[in-house]
Amino acid sequence: MVSNAPGSSTRHNVSTGHNLAGPNLAGMAVALTGITKRFGAFVANDGIDLAVRRGEIHAIIGENGAGKTTLMNILFGLLQPDEGSIRLNDEETDVADPAVAIKAGLGMVHQHFKLVPSLSVADNVFLGMEIRRHGLIDHAAQIARTRELSERFGLRVDPTERVGLLSVGIEQRIEILKVLVRGARTIILDEPTAVLTPQESRELFQTLRSFVAEGMTVIFISHHLEEVMEVSDTVTVLRNGKRVATRPTAELTKDELVRMMVGREVSFDRRPREPQRGEVVLEVEELWARDDRRLPALRDVNFTVRSGEVVGIAGVAGNGQTELAEVLSGLRPASHGVARLKGRNLAAFSPAEIRAAGLAHVPGDRMARGVDRNASIAANMLMGRQHRAPWSRGGVLNWNVIGQNASKLIKDFDIRAQGSSDAVKRLSGGNIQKVVLAREFTNGADFLLIDQPTRGVDIGAQEAIHDEIMRQRAAGRAILLISVQLDELAALADRILVMFNGRIMGEVAGDDADEDRIGMMMAGVAAPEFAAETA
Amino acid sequence: MMNDRLRAVSGQVIAVAVALVMGAIIILMVGESPVRVFMTLLRGTFGDQAKIAGTLLQTTPILICGVAACIGLRGGMFNVGIEGQLFLGGFAAAWVGFAFPLPAGIHTLAGLALAVVAGAAWVAIPAYFRARYNTNEVVSTILSNYVAVLLTSYFTIFLFKRPGGWSETPPILPTAYLPELFDFSRLNWGLVIGLVLAIGTALVFRYTSWGYGVTMVGSAPKFAEYGGVNVKRQGFVVLLLSGAVGGLAGGVETLGVHHRFMEGFAPGFGFDGLIAALLANGSPVATIFTALFFGALRNGSLLLEVDTGASREIITVIQALIILSVSAQVLVRRRGDSQAGERRWKF
Repeated sequence: MVSNAPGSSTRHNVSTGHNLAGPNLAGMAVALTGITKRFGAFVANDGIDLAVRRGEIHAIIGENGAGKTTLMNILFGLLQPDEGSIRLNDEETDVADPAVAIKAGLGMVHQHFKLVPSLSVADNVFLGMEIRRHGLIDHAAQIARTRELSERFGLRVDPTERVGLLSVGIEQRIEILKVLVRGARTIILDEPTAVLTPQESRELFQTLRSFVAEGMTVIFISHHLEEVMEVSDTVTVLRNGKRVATRPTAELTKDELVRMMVGREVSFDRRPREPQRGEVVLEVEELWARDDRRLPALRDVNFTVRSGEVVGIAGVAGNGQTELAEVLSGLRPASHGVARLKGRNLAAFSPAEIRAAGLAHVPGDRMARGVDRNASIAANMLMGRQHRAPWSRGGVLNWNVIGQNASKLIKDFDIRAQGSSDAVKRLSGGNIQKVVLAREFTNGADFLLIDQPTRGVDIGAQEAIHDEIMRQRAAGRAILLISVQLDELAALADRILVMFNGRIMGEVAGDDADEDRIGMMMAGVAAPEFAAETA
Repeated sequence: MMNDRLRAVSGQVIAVAVALVMGAIIILMVGESPVRVFMTLLRGTFGDQAKIAGTLLQTTPILICGVAACIGLRGGMFNVGIEGQLFLGGFAAAWVGFAFPLPAGIHTLAGLALAVVAGAAWVAIPAYFRARYNTNEVVSTILSNYVAVLLTSYFTIFLFKRPGGWSETPPILPTAYLPELFDFSRLNWGLVIGLVLAIGTALVFRYTSWGYGVTMVGSAPKFAEYGGVNVKRQGFVVLLLSGAVGGLAGGVETLGVHHRFMEGFAPGFGFDGLIAALLANGSPVATIFTALFFGALRNGSLLLEVDTGASREIITVIQALIILSVSAQVLVRRRGDSQAGERRWKF
């Protein structure tokens, strides 16, 4: 059971901090102490300690929104911490801006590159610090120096080529070269593999190893377990803005890492339920889809959802869940395979037609997809029904009916607002989510696609949202619940499917949600394999 | 909600006030008295019956172009090509007016109808590329202006030139005139068309299912897409409608005021309309007032060089200052909105 493992949970919550013992921070390339950063009420970094030894590859891992990038931006001087101190090369440093960080030997390769497409590789590398001869740019010297560095660290590029013609993988190498010529000894890479093909990733790891071979230090942000296991010496896990642990990679297994990333705070008990076995509402067969980089994000996904059943999708964020939701709601095309809603193939339908066929969708990206923040609650609750009576007749909206309907939903779903004309942006996160739920759960759809229903929502609202999902189950709806919170799935789902790297690794019954098994599958170990191991 | 609106309005008012103060400083720098200049402007604008009618006459094309811009802005489309649509619409209406004898009334309507079609057809090219290839409509509509202005010049000079020295088409037949409202001014039914259009557009956006979808495409495109609104198609339709109204503005101008098409017949009305719409936060009804403001500036400037030592170009300066302070105001407001500090660095 996910919901009850207090004994073992402490093991992971205690930071072992092998290199943080006592105040001895000597020999550290970077030492952050008690870094806290708030954006409004949101705490992005909460008292984080981080020490990176000289000459190691130190991975910082955590889910999206765990605070990794914020922490690195603070280290590099792009953001100022509200609390905490920074030591660079054993010296207390006030990193007021990136210039200070660069001077101290730090270099950062961002997720998004800033290169001039019309200039050559060498010109980009030396932009702003050109090698001059008689007052003119010495192109030959720049090219020679670029070539020397690229050969030394295995960063294959042709220094004379124009950047506009090159692939993203090569652009990244140029960014790394830029950092190197500026004299960096500690290199920070923010999700460097997010834009790379597997082959390019392997080459990048070679380069990183050649850096540490020369005594340099690498800090490497990622949310992919495999690469962290493959390339790093030490791992720091962040979760919800806090540091969970810092450990030598060799001491860790993948599923331990997963559990530290997704956490195991237990806040929900399993909901009692009547067994129901209804008609098949959603069928997914051999579904494949690509992500925005055109790489496979779903690989041969198969499952069904019956009416009166909650099917959960578990997995570390970024393993294809978003793409699955987008394909099912018509926002992303499938590259292969079919999804059928009540027997009708969704591939032929637009998002509007899928809704008409019986889909309700609570999107994971609530603020961008789920609402128009600047519009009123009433206008937000109108979406999807603006062409239907009684909300409109003959194409003319009836704002009286729309307002009354919204007021009723505000009462039914206990949304804390002054009235239906309140702008959604005035509401709290939990109440905004209730606006989305109220709209989606009341449009008569048979299939509910619910993505991260309680993310960023306070505990009280979480309970209310779970109650509502169970009511929908009792009313015979077919529900697909995507969540990165295992305890949420264990509380609500009849069956849990575990996704890893675009595949469904296996299925676990909700009544018997064994945390270790799910953790193994989330880390990419297939269910049968695991069964064989334990047998 | 009321509070938001109040804040938006007060922001615009402050922006205009700042621009006027800066304008006053510039007037001081050229050695004139700001009080005298502004009083002259006021007199030139609302001094007597004829001056008021003149102001409304200048307001009309700005208002219609402003509504055209509002339609685009509502759907998230920035139609900067209204000037070009106005030129093509103006030419199309004039062509119907001088080339096809028709009964009175019908003739006017036919001219306006072709103006609408011409404006829509002209914006259809950038709109198609926007919908199909996601090209930036700002760039393509700006560029289409130059082509439109020169194309209509070509039509006028090489194909339909009136005998004589002027670069203009033959006069249109009186059956195609837009009737005048009063006998002391050329002010015509165009103003009524503009007012009806502004109010009608506001009603359509507020009270129809289609208008709701378009509004959501403009303010939250991902939300609209998720809710089943065809974002690309609505963007295309909105640009087309915006261009149609831009064309209508040109038709109203040739059939109502000039009674022929001539080169450079309506300089800058399209751009003034866009600025009026931006100053009005994209609200067609508020555009009535901002268009009146710009119309008044234009009309008042006629007296300026006669009665004061200031050049009428000071009006252009004040307009530019208004654009600057309005956009600065928008930027300041946006910065207050951004709560995800991290996101600023992650782009």
